[in-house]
Amino acid sequence: MTPANTKSDDKLVRKFDWLPYLTGILTVLILFAFLLYPISKSVIYSFIKSGETIDFANFTLYNFERFFISIAYQKAFMHSMVVSLAATFFSTLLALPAAFAISRISMPFRNVLLSLSVIPLISPPFIGAYAWITLFGKSGIITHYLQTWFGIEMPIIYGPTGIILALSLSYYPYVLLIVQGSLAAADPYIEESALVMGAPRWRIMRTITFPLVIPSIAAGAIIVFIKALGNFGVPAILGGEYYVLPTMIYFQVHGFFNLNGASAIAMVNVLLTLLAILLMSHVNKGRGHVTVTGSTRRAVQINGLGARIFANTYCWGLLLIALTPHIMVFYSSFAVRWIGTLFPTEFGFDNYFRILSEVQVPFTNSIILASSATVICVVFGTLTAYTSVRRRFFGKWALDLTIMLPFVLPGIVTGVAFLTTFNSGWIILSGTSTILILAYCVRRIAYIFRTVSAALGQVDNKLEEASAICGATWGRTMRKITLPLVSPGIIAGGILVFATLISEMSVTIMLYSARWKTMSIAIYEYVIADELLDASAMGSIAIVATLLLVFLSSKIIGKSMAEMFR
Amino acid sequence: MSSHILQVQNLSKVFETENNRFTAVDSVNLEIHGDEFFTMLGPSGCGKTTTLRMIAGLEVITSGNILFDGQDFNKFSTFQRNIGMVFQSYALFPHLTVFENVAYGLHIRKVSKTTITELVNHILDLLVMSELASRFPPDLSGGQQQRVAIARALVYNPGMLLLDEPLANLDAKLRVQMREEIHRIQKDLGIMSIYVTHDQEEAMSVSDRLAVFNQGQLMQVGTPHQVYAKPQSLFVSDFIGQANYFPAHITNRNGSGVQVTLTKGLELELTSLVTLNKDEVGSIEPNFDGIVMVRPEHLSLSTSDSASLSCTVRRIMFLGSYTRYIVNCQDSRNEVFVDSPRPISGIEEGSKASIGIEEPDAILFHKGNS
Repeated sequence: MTPANTKSDDKLVRKFDWLPYLTGILTVLILFAFLLYPISKSVIYSFIKSGETIDFANFTLYNFERFFISIAYQKAFMHSMVVSLAATFFSTLLALPAAFAISRISMPFRNVLLSLSVIPLISPPFIGAYAWITLFGKSGIITHYLQTWFGIEMPIIYGPTGIILALSLSYYPYVLLIVQGSLAAADPYIEESALVMGAPRWRIMRTITFPLVIPSIAAGAIIVFIKALGNFGVPAILGGEYYVLPTMIYFQVHGFFNLNGASAIAMVNVLLTLLAILLMSHVNKGRGHVTVTGSTRRAVQINGLGARIFANTYCWGLLLIALTPHIMVFYSSFAVRWIGTLFPTEFGFDNYFRILSEVQVPFTNSIILASSATVICVVFGTLTAYTSVRRRFFGKWALDLTIMLPFVLPGIVTGVAFLTTFNSGWIILSGTSTILILAYCVRRIAYIFRTVSAALGQVDNKLEEASAICGATWGRTMRKITLPLVSPGIIAGGILVFATLISEMSVTIMLYSARWKTMSIAIYEYVIADELLDASAMGSIAIVATLLLVFLSSKIIGKSMAEMFR
Repeated sequence: MSSHILQVQNLSKVFETENNRFTAVDSVNLEIHGDEFFTMLGPSGCGKTTTLRMIAGLEVITSGNILFDGQDFNKFSTFQRNIGMVFQSYALFPHLTVFENVAYGLHIRKVSKTTITELVNHILDLLVMSELASRFPPDLSGGQQQRVAIARALVYNPGMLLLDEPLANLDAKLRVQMREEIHRIQKDLGIMSIYVTHDQEEAMSVSDRLAVFNQGQLMQVGTPHQVYAKPQSLFVSDFIGQANYFPAHITNRNGSGVQVTLTKGLELELTSLVTLNKDEVGSIEPNFDGIVMVRPEHLSLSTSDSASLSCTVRRIMFLGSYTRYIVNCQDSRNEVFVDSPRPISGIEEGSKASIGIEEPDAILFHKGNS
């Protein structure tokens, strides 16, 4: 018997493994056309005056000079810095005690607590933002009680106070989940050996535990900063006259259709983000020692009554406050009559019935856009992840970096880039569903890339080799072995992408048209028109739908909801 | 009964990273015939696994040829080579049952359903695994997974069977049992097998022939007895079995052998001579001409002072079928191991004794004629 049971001689030639190369090239092309190209174009746009053509002679710093001349620009810049830094500071401050408590003090329902902490992350912050108005506004419920019971005057919720409050309470779970994760994974023997050497607990905390999780704290804080810097919804609703960079971009586009000005502001926004990332990598330099242990042993838990009372009160209290806007949205979605009184005077499902006719179009739009984008994301995200994990090739780092780029670019920047690129020129897409779908794709492909990469990391390469030894071609191995094994990861990633897209706000606000109005735009319009009860009903639907989908996805890959966001 | 021939000619593998070149396999030549059980043995990183993976087509060849029945194997992709392979981690498909795992290769070969059932059941019977056919791999013990991996590799009657440290994940007792089983099935089916291991006892017990690798180079090929009794290098003498080394001066050469003198003046007449290659010449102590290597079972201990290799007994280990004496001796490079079939009366830990060398079984490694 000769090697290979092949029948004809022409088959006895080594088959060229072309499929991985094809998928790789295709992915690079797509990333180039819909990610790098739009971003470069908007960089160029930022150096051209509005109304002039792209030409080297027209190159100007005019758009950037406005940051030094225009008071409105300077203010927006300062406001963005203040709001983002404050939100980062308070998020970290709120999250750290909770992270230590959850991982070091024995608490019941630890996992429930962590899973619920995900809610502020998956429901867009703007949905809850206006709930703060009903609580802390001029005639808000809490404002009223504080005044009548204690005589305390609340600061005005519109402006920095409200924005910082809403952002901090929306984003602290990022710090909580990351820090708690690394505290829980830390090798218990390190702390125990310090204890054996005679160090008191507070000293261990200060000299061992805390320094070891500094990289995690920095990572969490940087995510909060980037998210806060790019957030449009919260300052749009709570800002009033207090403009930040994203609302300024929106103002430039929707007020004057000044894409060049918007591009310049977007570039400043990106620059700040990059500075923040540089700062983090500087903080983490030389702190590469991750002390993850293979043992399933948990660190020694503190059992004192005082500690337990503190831990439970603090953690559940913080969660309750963070979920207040969501609870309020639910509560007011059932309010039928709420005019001029502190509390609603009549409850029922009237709001839901009323919006039923209006919700259909945006709901259908959201579903169509989100599902189309998800399918494309799944296909290319999976292929890219496979290429990146399994193949060694030149320039792999560039692929990894490019695909993660939208992770750090604020959505509104992607929006501006798409608008400047596809508004004129070779491909005109503005106003179409395609532009939204493509923008959604590049925004979310990193999600699929990450989950599938992780899933592939769990599948031993030897399985694919074993399949080839048995005589299977690459295609057959993919179909019969690899894909079935990573499918939970793919499905979970897909659901996560879909769930976060149905209420996507920051890209949508830049790119939607009258024909392609989505759920988030509909809610935003209700809020702007002061139809808060209708907004609540629609917001409730969005929150519940998102939550159920994320829950489903976590069940599929058998991870807790908290783990999916770490 | 198979009559295949595998020829490995001048096979090399160089791994290149941006600022590093590493030669994992260096000009290896081998020839394996028929239903031979051939083992590649060596410490980790010696190139044995890389050689195996090149034979399987899982690693690209840097230079050299692999011929199977005269055909250039390099012209075939892995999936065209018709080989069976058992991995250290077994690499069972976790989402397929035992039956489906074993049937996988048959499905690819477009075998009819009834034949598949027949062949799979037959091989599972052979490995006493029939009752577990509908189970999934994660529900099986290590030994059972091992059997499934072997069944999967053999069921489609491959041209050769490759085994990459298949027993490394099993406990000691199971390892002995499984290696006998692999040997039995291999001989029953008459299939050429190439086995990779770092465990010399395992290699000696199952192989028809074995190849010892070190740092990418093939050091020696031969039957287990040849490699043990006639090592061609210091590395092989040390890696296979236990060895005692005595630095020596050559005093006289004659037709059939040489006369050597050890440090303290003991004279020996040796007939087994090996000239060391340039890599190992340096390991001879300065001022000496060579090293005498003697296996522990070819040494003896006595209380009499007749022989002039005096020593002090440091430790006595009773190991069942033999007794091992570890003694300090000034003539030797390190502590000397002496294995005796039975305990020697009158010798205790701390007592003085003298060592006797069975000259016909000692080997002199020397610098050569220059």
